[in-house]
Order: sequence, then structure tokens, then C-alpha cells
Amino acid sequence: MLLIVLVGLPVFAALFAGVSAGDGATWDHLLENRLIPYTGTTVSVLILSAIIMLGLAVPAAWLISLYDFPGRKIFDWALILPLAMPGYVMAYAWADLMGVAGPLQSNFRELTGLSARDYWFPNLFSAPGLAFVLASTLFPYVYITARAAFSMQSLTTLEAARSLGARPLDLFWRVGLPVALPTILGGLCLALMEAAADYGAADFLGVQTLGVGIIRAWTSFGEPNTAARLALMLILIAGTFLIVARLFQGRRGTQQTSLRWLTPRRTSLSPIVGWSVAMMCTSILLICFFAPVLRLIWLAFENQAQAAELAPLLRSTLILGLMGAGAAFLAALVFSLVSKKNETLRFGARLIAAAGYAAPGAVLGLGALFTLRETGQALSGTIAIGFLVWIYVSRFTSAGVEPIQATLARLPKNIDHAAHSLGATGFRQFWRVDLPLIAPGALAAGLILFVEILKELPATLMLRPFGWDTLAVRAHAYATDERLAQATLPSLLIVLAGLAPVLLLSWRLSRTERT
Amino acid sequence: MTFKTRLISGLSLLIGAVAACSNPAEAPTESETAGTQSALTIYSSRHYDSDKELFAMFEEQSGAQLDVRESGASQLLETMKAEGDQSPADIIIAADAGSLWRFQDAGLTQPLTSEALTNAVPANYREADGNWFGVARRLRGIAYDPSRWSAEDLTQWNTLAMDDKAGEICVRSSSNIYNLSLLGEIIHRYGSEEAQAWATAVVSNMARNPQGGDTDQIRAIAAGECSIAIVNHYYWIRLGASEKEADTQVAAATAFLLPEFSEGSGSHVNITGAAVTQTADNLELAEEFISFLLTETGQSYLTRETKELPLLDTTPLPVGVERVPAFTASDAQLGMYGENQAEAQRLFDLAGWN
Repeated sequence: MLLIVLVGLPVFAALFAGVSAGDGATWDHLLENRLIPYTGTTVSVLILSAIIMLGLAVPAAWLISLYDFPGRKIFDWALILPLAMPGYVMAYAWADLMGVAGPLQSNFRELTGLSARDYWFPNLFSAPGLAFVLASTLFPYVYITARAAFSMQSLTTLEAARSLGARPLDLFWRVGLPVALPTILGGLCLALMEAAADYGAADFLGVQTLGVGIIRAWTSFGEPNTAARLALMLILIAGTFLIVARLFQGRRGTQQTSLRWLTPRRTSLSPIVGWSVAMMCTSILLICFFAPVLRLIWLAFENQAQAAELAPLLRSTLILGLMGAGAAFLAALVFSLVSKKNETLRFGARLIAAAGYAAPGAVLGLGALFTLRETGQALSGTIAIGFLVWIYVSRFTSAGVEPIQATLARLPKNIDHAAHSLGATGFRQFWRVDLPLIAPGALAAGLILFVEILKELPATLMLRPFGWDTLAVRAHAYATDERLAQATLPSLLIVLAGLAPVLLLSWRLSRTERT
Repeated sequence: MTFKTRLISGLSLLIGAVAACSNPAEAPTESETAGTQSALTIYSSRHYDSDKELFAMFEEQSGAQLDVRESGASQLLETMKAEGDQSPADIIIAADAGSLWRFQDAGLTQPLTSEALTNAVPANYREADGNWFGVARRLRGIAYDPSRWSAEDLTQWNTLAMDDKAGEICVRSSSNIYNLSLLGEIIHRYGSEEAQAWATAVVSNMARNPQGGDTDQIRAIAAGECSIAIVNHYYWIRLGASEKEADTQVAAATAFLLPEFSEGSGSHVNITGAAVTQTADNLELAEEFISFLLTETGQSYLTRETKELPLLDTTPLPVGVERVPAFTASDAQLGMYGENQAEAQRLFDLAGWN
């Protein structure tokens, strides 16, 4: 309970300040002229990116789980790589590639002799463009959960369906997908909340989402309270996701009784189909990871970016990442286990955590500053670090709770009963029974948290103590001064630092599958 | 639930322990700095390597130690409000007079009475009571395609509202403070109604939705997507001074001018400025620091990398800045950019300027 309060406090401090401040002229203006466009844009970006994410992740996960084709093993782990890419870095890279002055369009004009106004070109600086950018960094969440759900499907179910003569597509639509859907929705929920909280990519691409509106209320209108109030709308949207997902899960959720999680034998695809599937996976990887990363590397070389002084940045990034991930992980673990038996408490805990996850980091940062004001302290040294880690916990616990709870939900209820009948209760049950069982999910949670915190920008920017600049902070500083070339090296380092845990994560996932 | 409490206490211990032992050596604790008289904490919204060199030179010259927190102006403002009396900040450095006014308006600055500074900084580039002082100038103007327009077509801001500019204008989003300050001066001169009409007309003349930064608008001219862009002078200068051929080609294919509001009104000028905070206790050192920024060394380091204009006419221009055309500055008091900022955003919103 105490922990729930701790995790929820920054959000509620911000919202309280927002609601209690009273209506200003700005609020009337926003309500009258901006709230509906902001919300409409946000919702359409989210729906579009949900469609893109499902389209990218679910077929790939299904094919990799059940079929054999060239490069399958590589794609299995490589499809998680885009997770290491912050959304704002993805936006910089693709905007540079696709912009009117970028290499694609420049070469096209040179080739054809056309002027920029003579042809149509997909516009990245638009709501669909933003949906694409966000989906391409966040689809691994859906992929991970879909992959886990498909490979953990009870062997007996699929074999039964097969022996009854289900054709491959039927198998997917009528057996595989329905059983996996609740789990996949969990992953999708997570990805959408993260997308809802985005500010960096939307601002850079000039798309008027709620995230942008919130920051604008703060910086242009000078009303942080109004900004916090506007954040309520985002949190409502996130709450709606959770409730919809929960309704789905409650209705469709199937508890598997068999612990035989072995994947059914993989069917080999015919060469033509197999290579087309391999091509599909390659294109996904190229678009969502390699093209933007290679572009950044190119820019770094072209501008002879200086690597000097990046070591201290990397160090503080890693230290803050470890502290934040450790604290958020413990919070997620406690959340999951304490509320294991209490349905209402569990949903409450998830909602609170989700509110933090869907709120932009800047709003939580404001919440922390509102709290700091009450304590009458300076934002430096240990106090600043404490506040920052606290905000990381508040912001990211949800990203840890969801994988752990997904694992817990898949455990058959009779394990609890068995443990009880053998006399294992309380801490003993946690240590000897629950922990080993949820270890894969828990590890995934820890790694995801670490990567998320590496990429975090707004709260770190606001709360870090003196001398604790992170890579994200530096990349942002260069980017806001329109020195994208200099922003490339710190951006690449973020991706690089995120790669290690992401690789560990995919290695872990492919290993659990084999055991 | 024993393990729950254990975990919670373990969690708090962990945070405390890691935070305590990972305080890096280069960030001195408060007790170290608070006692000595020769330390200055700077909250800066700039992020230039040449600033770091400049600060190091001041440290060497004065023997004082500088701690610098770099962040966005809005973030620094909220941080200072939250810290209240406990704020370690002594000096605020922020780009745009509108930002400086925000700090002053929140009661976070204090007036500095310094005859030297008052004499050095022209009256419209400092706050009347000495709450902030300009240290460098920045100009918002128009980059254009000289094969499409001549300078005579763009002498005033209201030429952008004319029908012949339909589909020709590129500009960044309205929440950017440079746009807010520009509209702030239009509001100051002509009132909200005309300002909104101007913004609406410019929106209807845009070649594309507002997006990207100022540099992107200049590149879009060279690429042929539009022929007019509203940009700050130094982005155009930096392109011309770049070592990349693609950048210098963009600069060569475009021209830059500084329109007036009406004939003889002068051009829109903004500043980067410095202020002494309410909580600063070593006023002498604070004044010494701001004066240092206004020496020839200070001026040249402040503007060398940014390509701003030095505040003092006596300082030689940074390389490349000589390409900025001669201009007469508007005599407007810059503090009103801040006063009009929220109104400017409201008008932009109503005009549909994203």
C-alpha cells in the first residue's frame, strides 16, 4: 500500500496542483480551441501505431514460433533490437533521411530533374509519420509478448488442431491468435502507453499531440499547473486502454492447464515462401533499426563528430540506469506478488503504475518539483538523485509489472494449491516457488526497465544533480540547437548501451524456449 | 507479509546507499561550496562548448569556482521555484528576453545596481531596474530565394501576409520562443487583432505545415519546397560557415534580410541575457561575472560558436557574421516579449499555426 502511494505520488502531486490551481484564461482557451484537436490527433496516432505494431509484430512472431525458414534464428533475436532506439532519435534519423533536403529526395530530384513541388513524397512530418516512428521503436514490446504467447501455447492444443486438419491460416486465426490475444494485448497496452507519453518525436515532427500540448501549456503559456491538468486527459486515455485490455483478457483469457510449453515441431516452409518470409523480416529490421542507425553513423563520420567527453556521460547514464532499474524492478516485483491473490488490489496497482507510465516524464518531473517545494530543499546531490530515482520508479514500474504479471497469469492456479498443501506459504512460497517460476518474466522486466531508463529524457533533464548529464541530455541539447551532426554520437551511444541488455533479453527469451 | 516490508526497507537502503557513494568527485557537496565566498552557481539554458571554455577562463581569472546546470529555460524556472530560498543558483543565463522576463516575473531575480553595466548595455537591452542584462544579440529575419524575390519584395513583415506569397513560406512551429517573441512585438505595435490577422495570413501562405527547426526551413528553400523562411540569423550564418559543402551550397543559394515592421520602425532584435538571482549572496562576484561576459574576451567567446552578434559594437564580429546586412534596431523594450508571450501563443493557436 505504501509503495502504491509512493509510485502514484508524483502523478497525483502534479494532477492535484493542476486541478487546485483554478481556471485561468489559458485553460478556457485550451478547452475551447485546442483540447479536441489535441485529443483527436493523439487518439488517431495511437490507433494507427497500434495497427502498424500488430502488423509488424504478430505475423513475424507467429512465423518464427511455428515455422522454419532461412535466418529464422537471427530474426528471432534481432527483431528486439529496435527497442534500444529512443523514439526521438528515430525521429531525427528518419526526418534526416526522408526530409525534403535529405538524401532520398535530393537524389530523386537529381535523377529526375524535378523540383520539390513537382512530385508527391510520403510526409514524415504528419500524424501517420509520427505513428510510424513510434511504432517502429515500440513494436518489439508486442513482438516479445506475442512470441512468448505463441511459443508457450500448449503443445496439445495446437497438435489437436493440426490433427483435426486445420490449415496453416486457420491455425493462426482460429487457434493461435485467440489463445494468445490476451497476452498480446498486454504488450500492446504497454507500447501504446509509452507512445502516448511521447513528447520528443511528436515535437520534432510538428504533430500536435496531447504530449506536445502539455509542454506548450507549460513553456509558452507559462502555466505548469495547466500542463498538469491537461495530462489528466492522457492518463484517462491510458486508463481506457487498460480497462479495454482487461475486459478482453477477462472474457477471452484461457488458462492453460498443461505445463508442457514445448513449441510444436516447426514446419519447414517451401523455399519460395521461406525466402519471402525472410525478406519480410529483413525489411522490418532494415526500416526499424539498421537504416536509421547506419544513417546516424554516416552523419557522425561525415561531420567528424568528436567523441571527447562522452565517457562521463556514459558513466552517469549507466549508474542512473542501474539505480533506477533496480528500484523500479523491486517496486514491480512487490506490486506483482503482494497483489497476486487480491484481484482488486492488483488492478488498482496496475492502474496507478499505468498512470505514471502514460504521463509524460515532464509532468512527473513537475510533480516531483511540486513535492520538492514542500520540503524546502535544493535540487542537488543526494536529494536530486533520490528524486530522480523516485520518478524513474513512478514512471516505469508499469513496464516491469506487466511482464511479471503476464508470467504470473500464465501459471496454473493449482501450483499455489500444491505449494500450500506442501506447507510453503508467505516468504517461503515466494522464495522457493514463485521466484523460480517468474524468473524469466522478471529478468525480462529488469532488462526492459534498464533500457527504458537509459532512453529517458525529460525527467532526467529536470532533476539531475550537477555533473550528472546523461547521453540523452547531451543529445537533446545538441538537437535543440539544431546541431544534429553533433547529436549523433551521444545518440548512437544510447543505442549501443541499450543493445547489451536487449541482446541479453533476446538470448534469455530464446533460451527459455528450449528448456 | 514479512517479505514485503523487507523488500521495501531493502529498496530504500539501496537507493540511499548507491546515491551516497556515487556522488561524483567533480560535483562538490553543498557544504563545500556554501562556506567559501568564491563560488558561483550558474543556471544556463545554453549548451555550447565555447561557454565551457569561457567559464574556465573566468574561474582562472577570478579564482572562483563555477558550478553550471544546463537545462531548458522553463525547466530551470520550475526548479528555482521549487527550490525557493534554498536554491543554489546565483546567475541565470537564458536566450530570449521573453525567458528572462519569466524569471523576473516569478520574483526569482534581483536588481543589480551597477553603473558600469548600465553604461555598457543600451537601455532597451536591459531591464530598467537591472533585473537582467543582455550579453549578446540575435536577429529574427527572412531567408529567401534570391532568384524568386528581390529584397524590395520583403522589406516589411506584413509583406509575408500578401497574396503573392501564397504557398511560398516555410516556418517552424509556433511554440518556439523566437516566433512567440516576434509576434509579441507585433502585438506590442499593432494590438492583438492585427497580430492575429497577420498570423492567419501567413498560415494561409505556408508551403507546408510548420515542422523542424530554423535550419530545416533554409534547407527547404534550397531544395525548392518554398522560397521564404522565417529564421534567426545565426542558423543561416552557420550553414555558410560549415565545413560541409552541402551546407555552404544551401547558404549560397539563399539570401537573408531583416525586415522592419513599418517604414523606419527598425528590425526585431532579441538577446541572450544574464540575471542575478534573488538567492545570490555574493553580489560582487555576480557582478564581476556579468561584467566579464561584456569584456572583449567574454563577447567573442559568447558569440564565436553561436554566431550571435556581440552586444558591444566594439567587439569584432565572429567569422561569417559580417554577411548579416546592415540594419537599424527596433527601439522596443524587450521585456514586453515576455509579457505578450501567452497572448502570442493564443493568437497562433487561433490562427491555426501549429
